[in-house]
Amino acid sequence: MERREALKKIAYLMGGAISATTMGVLFESFTVYNPEQDYNYSFLATDEEILAEFAEIILPTTANSPGAKAAGVGTFIPLVIKDCYPPDLQQIFKKGYEDMLALSKTKFKKEFLSLNNEEKKLLMSELKQQTINNNKEPSFFLISRDLTLLGYFSSEIGCTIAREYLPIPGKYDGNADYTPGQKAWAI
Amino acid sequence: MNINTNLKKQNTYDAIVIGSGISGGWAAKELTQKGLKVLMLERGKNIEHIKDYDSAMKAPWEIAYCGKLTEEQKRTHPVQTRDYPYQQANESWWVNDLECPYTEDKRFDWYRGFHVGGKSLMWGRQSYRFSDLNFEDNIKDGHGNDWPIRYKDIAPWYDYVEKFAGISGHNEGWPFLPDGQFLPPMDMNCVEKSVKERIEKHYNKSRILTIGRSANLTVPHLGRGNCQYRNLCSRGCPFGAYFSTQSSTLPAAIATKKLTVRPYSIVNHIIYDKESKKAKGVMVIDSETNESIEFYAKIVFVNGSTLGSTFILLNSTSEAHPNGLGNGSGQLGHNLMDHHFRCGAEGTVEGFEDKYTYGRRANGIYIPRYQNFKDDKRDYLRGFGYQGAASRGHWHKEVAELDFGGDFKEILSRPAESWTMGLGGFGEMLPYYENKVYIDNTKKDKWGQPVLAIDCEYKENEAKMREDMMYDAAEMLEAAGAKNVKAYDNGCYPGMTIHEMGTARMGNDPKESVLNKWNQMHEVSNVFVTDGSCMPSSACQNPSLTYMALTARACDYAVKELKKKNI
Repeated sequence: MERREALKKIAYLMGGAISATTMGVLFESFTVYNPEQDYNYSFLATDEEILAEFAEIILPTTANSPGAKAAGVGTFIPLVIKDCYPPDLQQIFKKGYEDMLALSKTKFKKEFLSLNNEEKKLLMSELKQQTINNNKEPSFFLISRDLTLLGYFSSEIGCTIAREYLPIPGKYDGNADYTPGQKAWAI
Repeated sequence: MNINTNLKKQNTYDAIVIGSGISGGWAAKELTQKGLKVLMLERGKNIEHIKDYDSAMKAPWEIAYCGKLTEEQKRTHPVQTRDYPYQQANESWWVNDLECPYTEDKRFDWYRGFHVGGKSLMWGRQSYRFSDLNFEDNIKDGHGNDWPIRYKDIAPWYDYVEKFAGISGHNEGWPFLPDGQFLPPMDMNCVEKSVKERIEKHYNKSRILTIGRSANLTVPHLGRGNCQYRNLCSRGCPFGAYFSTQSSTLPAAIATKKLTVRPYSIVNHIIYDKESKKAKGVMVIDSETNESIEFYAKIVFVNGSTLGSTFILLNSTSEAHPNGLGNGSGQLGHNLMDHHFRCGAEGTVEGFEDKYTYGRRANGIYIPRYQNFKDDKRDYLRGFGYQGAASRGHWHKEVAELDFGGDFKEILSRPAESWTMGLGGFGEMLPYYENKVYIDNTKKDKWGQPVLAIDCEYKENEAKMREDMMYDAAEMLEAAGAKNVKAYDNGCYPGMTIHEMGTARMGNDPKESVLNKWNQMHEVSNVFVTDGSCMPSSACQNPSLTYMALTARACDYAVKELKKKNI
């Protein structure tokens, strides 16, 4: 019985957390459609450019594979925000996005697109810290980072260059050798 | 209504099959192969094998929104989007909830697909026989009514349907899980093999772990291709490698040239003839034109899915059957069951860092029920089994919180450092008379029909069982040497397992059941119901294989009776 009690403690700690995906924190509890709200977010071409640069800092081009910008994440984020997010999260996204652009000006006296890589990283480290301090409540940083991971690792570049994609494996081997450095299978 | 006699002749068949899913497809195949002229009615659209599997060959980057659901989809599918089965890649195969509402006295997640093939296109494909231990549970503990059949009655029919459908698996000789006619089993991966060995040793074989028995072909079978290990089954298989109406029963029925399939045909009710005391046909609403049409036949097979069939029977009222067709017992609509799941445990397994998988196996492992058997006594009735798998995924626990940058990207491009093993319980739900459905006349669907109201809940027995579903899993994983073992209960509502059953149960006594041991209505001898609604108990095994076997058995009986002119 003691053993069962010990296991119970583990279980209660876990709560419902097991359903969180490996890709990050996808706000399941926020995805219920709310007809009371009506908020239509529209994006400009410059927004896509800025979001592409943001995503490129999250997942940059490296020696092994092109980054999130090349994978089209800059257009993916606005598309998903517009069609797949409820108004309350759209507003959180918009507010956080505008705050980031303003922070760029106050901190570096420059437009976001004029920042160099180091400056962008500093800026985003600050957004990241804010999100952590805020108990990972939904924020522009959290949403955009999640969507960057989802968009990139679902993209053709992410699936076929960063990882390896097997459309039709044809067989299953559950005891295949893994060589250090071997890429992960896409999906 | 004046019926033109030519039209009447034209609309007359030997048999009508209502529904085209797993059991309807089997009914159509068996009845046509036995020489009957059959009309199969499907309320939704047609889906042609392979040709209409629009997303089957799409790469991840070709799926809209990388799989995320839109706000519009959530608006039009408020029920279907409650859990994972409704996906961007197969979203057109799930109903628009706004067109066919129902009333939830208590939360009940009703997942439906209106199209030829029904849920046989999207099902989980796990295929397990029931044993005598299952068939005898009701009579032993007094919950529900006694099953009118035992294993020996259904065993030859399990053989028969397994041989045709193509079930891969491994015979284990386990009391709760009778052996079958299997194609070669899929492989367990290295971690599953290790976990199996350690669990079976630790529990001295009082628990076993086997590869899932799945309706996926491991070798070519009856003209269908074998599994290509893409794990995209729920989009439809271009290789015909899993059992569905389209890949299996429908081509066999069509080959007889005795089958007519009519999509867009909502059966509103079964027409009862008080002179002959039989059903003379069905009244259909054409879902595209809203026109009412009657079809006639000597026998009617009701295979519209558990609650769909129950709605039709409840809605088929007449002077002789004021509370629904064949409902003299008052049991029609009652005893609704589902399984319960979404709880178990998972942990990491070390020591296999030099191993990986090749291919995506659309199957997992299975631990059949072992509780309330021999010395293993629990403080609840019946029991549960586990489905699970080990995998080496993409999750890197070493990554710092909300990390980003080049190193982060490189790490995510490699598989996880360690393997994860998960076990998720599937528990039996007792049949409770008060868990019921009934017709709610205050609401109408898109076609002007009243709707079903569902009043169903899990009770104390299920709640107690769930604790063990978590802790037994955690214990077994620890015994198997897993680290960081975590148990979870993500909560479950009836309907979520999509194994709803029991609302037109079989039984020997017409006073306490709707159907006899041949799935034939006690009160209307030419009506047979062979989908999940016939089940007196749920056991804890995935039920579709049992529906297949009961359907083939009932068809055999019905045609014999028809030939003897008994019906």
